[in-house]
Amino acid sequence: MKGFLQIALGILSAIGGFVDIGDLVFNTQAGATFGFQLLWVVVIGVFGIVVYSEMCGRVAAISQRPVFDLIRERVGFGAGFGTLIAAEVVNLMTCAAEVGGVAIVLQLLGGAPYRVLIVAGVVALMVITWTLPFEWIERLFGYFGLCLLVFAVAVIKLHPHWGSVAHGFVPSISSTNKLVFFYFAVGLLGAALTPYEVYFYSSGAVEDGWGVKDLRINKITSIVGYGLGGFLSFSLMIVAAVVFLPRGIDPQFLGTPAVGAMDAVGKYGLLLALVGMLFAVGGAAIETSFSGAYNLAQFFGWEWGKRRRPGGAPRFTIAWVVIFVLALGIVMTGYDPVKITEYSVIFSVVALPLTFLPILLVANDAAYMGRHRNGRFSNVVGIAYFVVILAVSLSAIPLMLLTHGGQG
Amino acid sequence: MTESELDLGLGVLDHQLVDCNGRNCGNVDDLELTPLGDHGDSEVTEILAGGNAWRGRGWFGRLCAALSGDAVHVPWSEVAEVGAVVTLKRAAQELRLGLGDDRAARFVKRFPGA
Repeated sequence: MKGFLQIALGILSAIGGFVDIGDLVFNTQAGATFGFQLLWVVVIGVFGIVVYSEMCGRVAAISQRPVFDLIRERVGFGAGFGTLIAAEVVNLMTCAAEVGGVAIVLQLLGGAPYRVLIVAGVVALMVITWTLPFEWIERLFGYFGLCLLVFAVAVIKLHPHWGSVAHGFVPSISSTNKLVFFYFAVGLLGAALTPYEVYFYSSGAVEDGWGVKDLRINKITSIVGYGLGGFLSFSLMIVAAVVFLPRGIDPQFLGTPAVGAMDAVGKYGLLLALVGMLFAVGGAAIETSFSGAYNLAQFFGWEWGKRRRPGGAPRFTIAWVVIFVLALGIVMTGYDPVKITEYSVIFSVVALPLTFLPILLVANDAAYMGRHRNGRFSNVVGIAYFVVILAVSLSAIPLMLLTHGGQG
Repeated sequence: MTESELDLGLGVLDHQLVDCNGRNCGNVDDLELTPLGDHGDSEVTEILAGGNAWRGRGWFGRLCAALSGDAVHVPWSEVAEVGAVVTLKRAAQELRLGLGDDRAARFVKRFPGA
């Protein structure tokens, strides 16, 4: 039973972290623009997050230290502080995008004015975060987020040409609009490998008191949890490719993916898609606010943790409250959450190398990890991914500027 | 550079400080070294945590130090163990560590459920 509950940590990370507003936006836009051609990029992203989340969960289990502790230990105060600023900016932008997403989905479900729903959404998320224990937050958002499986049902009901779908998993590059293709490839990798996922995952593992006995559950959680997230990403892209591409629909609105589910499954499909999206983006909003608070507290050595009462980790508590309030302020300006999402994903790609390098170094450090240090497979894959991450990180902003955010 | 100097940089500096009750109470932001005779060797005499201890930590460190108060000096003799974290022999309050959390706790505890 305990093992099953621990997998909930992975499910929350998978649904609320992997499938968040970034995945909803980029997978749907990529499917509507390039059909199935970018499915192979999602596979690379999913495999990368599985490898690195397993590594940071293992490091957390053996050393009891979360990722941001390691970042500062390994790269020092100056580079660590630079990473902290970058991570906090990206966390805040992502949190703002998720909060905006919550308001948009609530509007589609209920119809009240957008700005009223932004305030209502943030207040609800803050009350839930303040009052509910960690496990309940995991379960509430993780399990309701599973409503997104309606997109998998939609894929089956839409009867896509499976040969073309399978061909999408074979790496290839579009013959037209190459720059836009690369922009979406970078965005899909960024949406899959978001740094806040590893901050949240490793901090959650330390909060759960993982030790050597939990290494197996870490492996299962990272593979099943993120694998499920990847499965949903494929579904989103396939639905968009079948429903939107032939009709020339450019999904610039967050509610558009749900229309794809409705097209295949009917009004209950629409309802399930919206409920799933609400809990996925709501869970991700909490994760991003926590990630921001975890990072600050770990960098400066404060008390931290959601398992404590708010007064037991006071600066950590103030930090996540402030992140929610700032996110509220950003979305209340009326700036489009989809645009904020695109910027947050692209900027998160830039911050990736400084997040993933310390994980790779420490996971390979015998003094820290003893016999649980990286094996040859983890090292080869970890280093290969780091090279990919570095290349993607350097090309992200130029591609965003050259393609005007994927508009060509 | 000798092996022991390298270990100090990798194994102590920037590590989490934890008091005897398991409370996180800052980081090893800098170390005070005292020369031992004329041989060029030195020993660690103090841990510096917070405030102007960041002065020597690059551009960002100077910026943070300028916005902060004085560092807390913890004698090395108060260190119980050095591992993934630096564990101290006494409670944080006795060493004047974790004061920011104490002040913030007084504010947060005014709210219901805190």
